[in-house]
Amino acid sequence: MLDGGDDAAVPNGHAIDAGRTPAGAAPLLALSGIAKEFPGVRALAGVDFNLRRGEVHAVCGENGAGKSTLMKIIGGVHAPSAGRLLYKGVERRFASPLEAEAAGIAMIHQELNLVAHLSVAENIFLGREPRRGFLVDRHALRAGAQACLDRLGAAIDPDAPVRGLSMAQRQLVEIAKALSLEAELLIMDEPTSSLTEQEAQSLFRVIRDLKAAGVGIVYISHRLDEMREIVDRVTVLRDGRHVATDALAATTIDQIVARMVGRALDEKFPERTSVPTGDVILEAAGLTRAGAFRDVSFALRRGEILGFAGLMGAGRTEVARAVFGADPLESGTLAIEGRRLSIRDPRDAIAAGIAYLSEDRKAQGLAVTMPVDANLTLANLGAVASRLGLIDAARHAAAAQDYVDRLGIRTPSLRQPVRLLSGGNQQKIIIGKWLFRDAKVMLFDKPTRGIDVGAKLAIYTIMDRLAARGIGVVLISSELPEILGMTDRVAVFHRGRLVRILDTARTDQEEIMHYASGFGGREG
Amino acid sequence: MPAGLTPPVAAARSRLSDRQKDLIQTFAALGSLVALVAAFSLTSPAFLSLGNGMSIGLQVTSIALLGIGATVVIVAGGIDLSVGSVLALAGVVAALCVKELGLAVPLAMLAGIGVGGVCGLVNGLVVTRLKLPPFIATLGMMLIARGLALQITGARAVSGLGESFGELGNGALLRLVRVGDDGFPEVLFPGIPYPVLLMAGLALAVAFLLRRSVIGRHVYAVGSNAEAARLSGVAVDRVVTLTYVLSGLLAGLTGCVLMSRLVTAQPNEGVMYELDAIASAVIGGTSLAGGVGTISGTVIGAFVIGILRNGLNMNGVSAFTQQIVIGLVILLTVWIDQLRNRR
Repeated sequence: MLDGGDDAAVPNGHAIDAGRTPAGAAPLLALSGIAKEFPGVRALAGVDFNLRRGEVHAVCGENGAGKSTLMKIIGGVHAPSAGRLLYKGVERRFASPLEAEAAGIAMIHQELNLVAHLSVAENIFLGREPRRGFLVDRHALRAGAQACLDRLGAAIDPDAPVRGLSMAQRQLVEIAKALSLEAELLIMDEPTSSLTEQEAQSLFRVIRDLKAAGVGIVYISHRLDEMREIVDRVTVLRDGRHVATDALAATTIDQIVARMVGRALDEKFPERTSVPTGDVILEAAGLTRAGAFRDVSFALRRGEILGFAGLMGAGRTEVARAVFGADPLESGTLAIEGRRLSIRDPRDAIAAGIAYLSEDRKAQGLAVTMPVDANLTLANLGAVASRLGLIDAARHAAAAQDYVDRLGIRTPSLRQPVRLLSGGNQQKIIIGKWLFRDAKVMLFDKPTRGIDVGAKLAIYTIMDRLAARGIGVVLISSELPEILGMTDRVAVFHRGRLVRILDTARTDQEEIMHYASGFGGREG
Repeated sequence: MPAGLTPPVAAARSRLSDRQKDLIQTFAALGSLVALVAAFSLTSPAFLSLGNGMSIGLQVTSIALLGIGATVVIVAGGIDLSVGSVLALAGVVAALCVKELGLAVPLAMLAGIGVGGVCGLVNGLVVTRLKLPPFIATLGMMLIARGLALQITGARAVSGLGESFGELGNGALLRLVRVGDDGFPEVLFPGIPYPVLLMAGLALAVAFLLRRSVIGRHVYAVGSNAEAARLSGVAVDRVVTLTYVLSGLLAGLTGCVLMSRLVTAQPNEGVMYELDAIASAVIGGTSLAGGVGTISGTVIGAFVIGILRNGLNMNGVSAFTQQIVIGLVILLTVWIDQLRNRR
């Protein structure tokens, strides 16, 4: 569905003006001495940054390094506390994102900014609808949207309401929206974080087109491996300061990572210490739900990390949610430690010792207005309450503190609302919640999406330790290096079917992609 | 996103200010209450008397009792528009139980409260089982309960209920009366009215429940993020239903108290009281988005409304102007709350 590299090379719909000034001497954008203070927080301190026409300039840094703030200053969301911003050689100060947009600066947000009840086409042209008199020109709207989507090679119906789309599809719509602005400067904040390998590849093709047309692109991503594909220069930020700017060709990923964290990181994945034992902890047989997945069978062993690999929409998340009772199962059986289970509700699954860590942390994993401690104990309040249902404040605090310490959760206090913590720390809180519940099986759905390198390593280490304690772990991931680096076996999904289970030590990216793409499976 | 870029040092500072902010907000509500009291005592000498304090306490009782229910419902992410009608239905049921069935007053009132609970249960089931939005579900109940109250009474007030029916609304604890030399009774201390005691006791109990119990924690979790709560094993539907039942029971109790004070059951009592209840919760810092709110805030909010009404009355401000003022107060307090959250 995502082939057709030839199509993407032809700018259709809204051709980029080929006569635009080619890369000149003056940079498209030059920032000098940019500082930004929020009450009590210095987010940026004297950062210099410039972007040439036709260049992809990556900005790297851990969560909290100031990347997002810098982007928001360029995009007109925040005004800098100090410093100068020159755009096309003229000093500018954008008062709002609209002003920046009018000047030709478009931003693709990491947190998606789409209106769920409107259609894809309506979202792409929101606020800029093509008109015929008073009325929206529905025909032009649809055609324009289709053209943007085609450019991305995205198989999404422009008339579909956004609320029915997956995270990855929404991300593509967000990118199509930015493309439709015909911007001269594009800011991309983690554009590939929920895309599959193939979708990411078509995005890179579009980026190369844009480069050729003289568009400058600021690119933020935690996936350093993908930079080789498109990035020209890299700027590293740490703690709100500028650390270095280099041509990508003149540096290495290891160097970049070392600069980001301020120390050398020897490895991206921890040494696996756990060894799967023979006994099966979770056994699934013939799991089926029409339209989502069919006849999925697997056995998860104690201490094992089993990967779920596949393309977007292959049914991996759906299977995990059904095992957890979050969505119904039409047929098939589940057994934990040999005991048959009937799971109709997440409460049944939790009682049986199954935990599910959802992909969308904020929407499904955390009570964001509640503090750290309340989130940690939410799934097992009974353990810190009396028989009458009164919470023992001392035991509650001690339990929460224990998991904060054990998982290295960085929070100023147990009472801090979780929405104020970074993505990595939020993920650790969700893990802590299930550790406190003594789960025997933990289903991780893309646990490292959108979190930084250091926090990723911490999450991987925790997963390894969980497995070492005899917990069976399922890791759903769209990043093949992660699958290869962390799992014992890989279950490859294609269109709702579990096509093949591979031994991780004896497979590689090509083989997994082969099965995930539908070749060599039992059927196409 | 300031969340992502909170380095440890700054975070340590913001912890203090977070706590301070909570304090400031609590004291802001309290402070405005004190300011109101001070202002009204200056403008009208009778304001700061024991008798007036007592009548404010009584006036505030119904707002606060309904406000407690509203707070729990709103914290769990819902809204209850039916309480004004439900209190009327509960009150007339209690009165009819006494008058038509000859039930003892305490039993009749329990029946009234029970009717309130049943209305709440229906609200809860309509929201959780039929999946109707709370606004619509309770709007329907608002009309149904009012209609029932008018129907069963023939739209007439139920009176001649006997002195014992008035005990709950008019009685007081520790009332000291001396019969003077002239034979007229002299009130030494008016006592603490039963409704005020009820309000204080229930406010403490529900506050304790919300703060310390598992079910209270679940109420906050459901309002903060229902899906996350469900995926954490919280019985979301049961929690939501329970909040409406509590709101209905409190409305039933409020109905009994109000009718008892008048010793007459009015099927038209309590019109628009649901808005006072919601307003008191909102003034007290409860977020209509769910997940945030406290009983102490709501009680303060109820007093702000009650004292504003009473004080404006004593200063001869018309009822129309009072509505305008209270409307402005609601806008102002919620705006301040937004400012605080926006940062």
